[in-house]
Amino acid sequence: MTPSIAIHLSDVVFRYVESGKRNILDHVSLDIEEGGITVLMGSSGCGKSTLAAVLAGLYPENGGFLESGTIELYGHPVSAMNQQERAAYLTMLFQNPDLQFCMDTLRREMQFCMENICVPKEEMDHRIGDAARTLGMEALLDQKLVTLSGGEKQKAALCCLYVMESKCILLDEAFANIDSQSVTELVSLLLRFKQHGRTIIAIDHQLGHWADAADEIIVLGEGGKVLQRGISPDQLEEFYPLFEQEGLYYPGRAASQRSIFMADSAADHKPETAASYNSGPSTQQDQKPAAVSFRDLSILRTSDKRASRFRQYLLSHVNADFPKGAMTAVLGPSGSGKTTTFLSVLKQHPYEGSILIDGTDLSRIKKKELFAKAGIVFQNPGNQFITQNVTEEVKSSIRIWNKDLSDEQCEKQALALLKEYGLERYHRYSPYMLSQGQQRRLAVLSILAGRQQILFLDEPTYGQDYRSTMAIMEQLSRKVKDDGLTVIFITHDQELAEVWADKIYQLQGQRFVEGRRTS
Amino acid sequence: MKLEKLNPSVKMFTVLICAILLSVQYLVSLNVTVFLISLFLLTFFSNARMKQVLTILIPAFIAAFGLFVTGLYYARGSSIDVTELESLSAVPYAVRAAMSTNLYTAMQLSTRLLAYAGLGILFALSTDGEFFISSLMHQCHLPPRFAYGILAAIHLMPTMTREFSNVKLAFRTRGMRVHWYSLKPIFTMLVNSIRWSESVAMAMESKGFCGDAERTYYSVPKIHWYDLACSLGSIGAIVTGMLLLRY
Repeated sequence: MTPSIAIHLSDVVFRYVESGKRNILDHVSLDIEEGGITVLMGSSGCGKSTLAAVLAGLYPENGGFLESGTIELYGHPVSAMNQQERAAYLTMLFQNPDLQFCMDTLRREMQFCMENICVPKEEMDHRIGDAARTLGMEALLDQKLVTLSGGEKQKAALCCLYVMESKCILLDEAFANIDSQSVTELVSLLLRFKQHGRTIIAIDHQLGHWADAADEIIVLGEGGKVLQRGISPDQLEEFYPLFEQEGLYYPGRAASQRSIFMADSAADHKPETAASYNSGPSTQQDQKPAAVSFRDLSILRTSDKRASRFRQYLLSHVNADFPKGAMTAVLGPSGSGKTTTFLSVLKQHPYEGSILIDGTDLSRIKKKELFAKAGIVFQNPGNQFITQNVTEEVKSSIRIWNKDLSDEQCEKQALALLKEYGLERYHRYSPYMLSQGQQRRLAVLSILAGRQQILFLDEPTYGQDYRSTMAIMEQLSRKVKDDGLTVIFITHDQELAEVWADKIYQLQGQRFVEGRRTS
Repeated sequence: MKLEKLNPSVKMFTVLICAILLSVQYLVSLNVTVFLISLFLLTFFSNARMKQVLTILIPAFIAAFGLFVTGLYYARGSSIDVTELESLSAVPYAVRAAMSTNLYTAMQLSTRLLAYAGLGILFALSTDGEFFISSLMHQCHLPPRFAYGILAAIHLMPTMTREFSNVKLAFRTRGMRVHWYSLKPIFTMLVNSIRWSESVAMAMESKGFCGDAERTYYSVPKIHWYDLACSLGSIGAIVTGMLLLRY
């Protein structure tokens, strides 16, 4: 028991079903020292999140079966402590900002957190004031948490962890759905935490977030096993082969990959696309007819009449064209109205001005016709599963669009598609049993199995490792080329947009600004 | 002094006792008075929105009317009364029934329903949910595990509404027909809700929330003298009404 070891795992074996064969964590041993920022990386489904939950003592208490192994926080076995005692050593920031709070405002949430760990009442106001000042959250203290953007929510959650003063903070892909500016802010806050002597462990797919902050990078493989540790950001290049082997991101990887992909397809498809990628703006795309266009479009934040006195425009007098048979990316800070704009295009949110779909005004298109033309993949893929089985999920999409196919043919096609997407291993699973990343792949796949010509994707790659991201983007890109699909995707990942999109819009200050890449 | 300030647990018991008292009496005038006083208090001593009050009262009025009609025609002894008035066959049945003693029974039934409705909204619209739960925790020993569970669920509602409309939209864009009564989106929503409740619970636990352990409280609702005074006053008024009023 050395005091400098923050967390200690030895020979941990964990699986979700006691009688199951697949161990999510397979004899994992790991020690992390106190006082640094450690980044854990690993491919989707390798058990990173499970590892985090086991560390925090959330599993096996909330499910799953720990066969063997010891887990210690600062020398104290996790299983011997209750939640209250554990919170002194380790608290956690989760991936989904919507699901972290118990109370309605940040002030009350912080009170709740301090009540949990028995902070005397007299001390609370002082601590809250201090935390809000240090993290710059004073303005948001009494706002309803529901009204905050994703980035603000994560900051609020971090603020709660700050008042609790626990020694170690564990981030489970906490930046997955946040715009890059907020990420930078959060990382600088975490650096301040580190200065106060706290230990930070982050699970993340995007190394870019941590490039300047991380002290050590650890790569985990299948079953949560440590493949390589002690990687420091400056010697990262030595380990690129390992990253590639595990299908992980490293800064700049996407760009190189895309050029390879484009070079392959350029030979038999459209050389001009590849050329345009290398030589900057091209006039080709501008001449393509628009699949979706905005003319003088304004959108209010809320359709709620009671709130109309706070008439706040998300978009005002926007003109934009999304070319047919191309990929367009929409970037912008979280909460700026990207998703709402697409809800408007799908007739789910009121707007002023006009939206044209293939040249026809949206108001003259019936919902049913619209949905036969345009599909959407949401941020939360769990929303769109219509069946309880992975194969069935894809099959039912195929069936809806190909009424004349026999059941076996549908099944065959579905399995072929699943194989293409690396999901055939899970074909008997319920979609809800898949990991977040796998769920998203399935959601995209089941939409692609249909025949819509316009596809909206809200953060198609969030929470995914490099390999799955590329798989999804390549698949989409191929569909765009072969079938003339129009893809419009929302993302926070600048690099991703630059690499894959034929056209980029930035949503800034209520306007769509066309952001040309500088190549 | 607003009704919102009163201790919610005391208020709840007061309203309950008043309702029980009302159920053992048959005074139309007392029922009407209770109903009117409830409305009066809501209007002038609470932050309740009148629109909300009226929206809730519409079904109550419909139910009261239904009960009135039922009481008028089918109450005990109705057939006898109608036969007695058979000689006046020129008079329509409705009027004959109304002239009978059933009128009073019907009034008793329908005004009682209104009195209950009045008491109900008096409590519901003048009580802050969080204050109520916190008071239940301190005055009625509701375990924190439930109390904070309920609070977390309440605060999750806006997210759930948003997600539900997303689910329906996702289904529609996948070529499924969705009606307001369709069960599939609800099923998806239920599966999601279970997952969410797990996530929220884990988030709460990782922040040190522990159902059984000691905890401190930032604010503890107390019972003041005026809570008890209001409570005793209301109950006393109803008892007095029961003793003094005749009809």
